[in-house]
Amino acid sequence: MNMAALSQDQTETLQEVVNIAMGQAGDSLARILDVFVELSVPRISLVEVAKVVPTVCDLLDDCDDIFAVRQAFHNNEQLRGESIIIYGEAGCSDLADLMGYNTDEITADDFRTESELLLDVSNILSGACLNGIANQLKTELSYSAPSIMAQHAALQDVMSHENLPWNKALLVEVNFGLENSDFKSHLLILLTEEAIDSLGHSLDMFLENL
Amino acid sequence: MPTRVLVVDDSKISRKMIIKSLPKDWDIEISEACNGKEALDGYHAGKAEVMFLDLTMPVMDGYEALEILKKEGLNTFVIVVSADIQPKARERVISLGAMDFIKKPIDTDKVNEVLKKFGII
Repeated sequence: MNMAALSQDQTETLQEVVNIAMGQAGDSLARILDVFVELSVPRISLVEVAKVVPTVCDLLDDCDDIFAVRQAFHNNEQLRGESIIIYGEAGCSDLADLMGYNTDEITADDFRTESELLLDVSNILSGACLNGIANQLKTELSYSAPSIMAQHAALQDVMSHENLPWNKALLVEVNFGLENSDFKSHLLILLTEEAIDSLGHSLDMFLENL
Repeated sequence: MPTRVLVVDDSKISRKMIIKSLPKDWDIEISEACNGKEALDGYHAGKAEVMFLDLTMPVMDGYEALEILKKEGLNTFVIVVSADIQPKARERVISLGAMDFIKKPIDTDKVNEVLKKFGII
């Protein structure tokens, strides 16, 4: 079976579209936390799902325990996929401090509080980023409610094939860091094969209108 | 004599969008660079009376390039064009000597406004 793929022009266009969307997402987070958000150059690669874990491990520098939040999205055509935001364990207490949560007193509700916090931040990042992409490509996305995919789990367990019902993934990876903090998050966007074709068509239209 | 304009961005698409947004009747000679290091090379080669500079780039980002330009005396009009639209990003580049900040996606009217504001056109 042929791999759905994007041409070099389409990939470069998507990279710039994601770059602009990422800036909007970073601005949203910065305004809420009142802190400077460090952005990276977005990276885009098409991989078989079986290779997602090693690829993501490479992207993350290390594979310590993580938190992950997932959210499905689709438009009314063929664009359909899932965003997964991965947080390194180390920076989550920094984030809790910035959001005004009390991290000195450990309570039985910690897991719930942590979940709420990560769902809030994921909503901001994922929503702003995906909306930014959709707006530029002149489409509208609908979203499912975000859900916790993993808490204090190993990346290999989280990103297993059973958890990822896709044949292949367009890994659109953007990183957000907070200045003077260990907090880091990585947003991955996974798409179906049909969605990659649909995305390619949208990118061609975008390029034609430049 | 045409004004020498250097467009600095790691994205070919973005450089194309910036160049397309420049006034059609502006007599210019355009050069392109893919990162801060190449921007400095272009500046030292006299290709940057006006520089459109991205911030988030590999090899050397726009902040670092601006810091070096500032230390060297900044003999160019730098207009930052970036997707990093945080107010603090704007404050930082202005403090580093950039003339103005234009957010992506770039807008022709905004480019005209900035170029006129500083008497470049």
